Amino acid sequence: MSPVVLIRGVAGCWSPVGSRRSPQLPNSPLPNLVSSFVDTFVDFSVTGIFLPNPPSPPFSKTSYPSHDRLIAVGDLHGDLLKSKQALRLAGLIDSQDRWSGGSSTLVQVGDVLDRGGQELKILYFLEKLKRQAVKVGGNVITMNGNHEIMNIDRNFFCVHPSGLDEFQNWAGWFSTGNNMKQLCDGLQKPKDLYDGIPSTFPGIKQQYMNGFRARIAALRPQGPIATRFLSKNLTVLVVGESVFVHGGILPEHVDYGLERINEDVRDWITGSRETVSSDLVRTRNSLLWLRKFSNETAEDCDCSLLEHALSTIPGARRMIMGHTIQRGGINGACNNRAIRIDVGMSQGCINGLPEVLEISEDSGLRILTSNPSDHQNRHDLLIPEQHGPREVEVQA
Amino acid sequence: MESLLAEATAFGNEDANASLEAKAQKALECPCIQNLRSGPCGSQFSAAFLCFLKSTAEEKGSDCVQPFVALQSCIQTNPNAFPKEVLENDEAETQEKPSEDYKIIPPRWAVEPTTSPKTKL
Repeated sequence: MSPVVLIRGVAGCWSPVGSRRSPQLPNSPLPNLVSSFVDTFVDFSVTGIFLPNPPSPPFSKTSYPSHDRLIAVGDLHGDLLKSKQALRLAGLIDSQDRWSGGSSTLVQVGDVLDRGGQELKILYFLEKLKRQAVKVGGNVITMNGNHEIMNIDRNFFCVHPSGLDEFQNWAGWFSTGNNMKQLCDGLQKPKDLYDGIPSTFPGIKQQYMNGFRARIAALRPQGPIATRFLSKNLTVLVVGESVFVHGGILPEHVDYGLERINEDVRDWITGSRETVSSDLVRTRNSLLWLRKFSNETAEDCDCSLLEHALSTIPGARRMIMGHTIQRGGINGACNNRAIRIDVGMSQGCINGLPEVLEISEDSGLRILTSNPSDHQNRHDLLIPEQHGPREVEVQA
Repeated sequence: MESLLAEATAFGNEDANASLEAKAQKALECPCIQNLRSGPCGSQFSAAFLCFLKSTAEEKGSDCVQPFVALQSCIQTNPNAFPKEVLENDEAETQEKPSEDYKIIPPRWAVEPTTSPKTKL
């Protein structure tokens, strides 16, 4: 993130003690340290988080071989507390909120944004876990939901008031950080955060104007938050026999090319591409909005279409999706070829009890739930007497 | 980071035993940050930056919460502590008006109520 610097006749810092004169270095490291310091200070001011030292792990791949242990978590919608509960349930974070999942893989299937007021904190938290996990052979993969794309598109229909507050607070610190960088000779002047954004929007209450401007600045293509976090999201993912997507995959999506989908969306967010196809991320039958396989009434799901889609992805035996709240908790449809993991856990949704899906070589598919009561409406029950997470076996 | 700091404070055969503290102090003398070190939050900046330079934590700077918080408080009390530099070039850049198509879809709670009665279509 540190910009390349222009040295402007400053010699003092690089003369060693003694009589030797140092030649002027083309890249001055001190301004880079200032830039690093400012970024760290801004991150801390906004979220209270210090990120583990860079670099951020490389972009996730579209497909991975099957893994010892994988945990899939559904929509989080700005609720940091519930997010942490879900992760703790799976043993992925300890009491200090540090990655304790070892070499496990965590997949979050999108919709971090909207409906809550800790969206940025969640984005930072997941990034922190990514960096911690990669050091011990683990992996954290984050994905786009429809609400990520909505926000990048300036569709703020589902934003919570506290969400505006968080982004406005971010913008204040980020702007201060930019001013500090400007004051350091040798750093490239940062671009104006609000460049190109109108100062007012007709029909919007005046008190919210700054909040929306901040949100636009942060999340638009090439915006600082879009670039740092959203551009790292996958839109489709295959791990072994499991396909992960926020809404659902149709044969035509597979035809288009899974890797191509991920690249298109990423390139749009980073500004390398002007647009991204609405058929992929905006329309009712798009990857991020489809509900054909996540209808709460399992019988209403289009199982033959699901089978068709899965058959076009080599090795795929099941599709794991978020997006549609399952009021009874995580469950499967179409002979467990469709696993629906959105439990609406955010306070801004139905405040559902946290649950996660575990896929492991040892135990197959399991639901890890914090719900202490019996589940009469779910498949094969095997609830051992214990405190804490209860395991429910899903009939394969 | 350690090596970057070493580069910043010396070139050539720096005394390998020079302490991190000394190197960090030397970095503070750099002209390029004098603007940041002056003004109402200059000393808080210096303390926070110095701590950051010396930090060897896994999360660099995580052992600097106190000076960071002090700098935060100072900035909150003095919003103009690090003022935006207005350069001549900036004005030319901001002349470009955003197109009239630049719209947002707001949440219901943010919309100004209309005073005119609803008309049936």
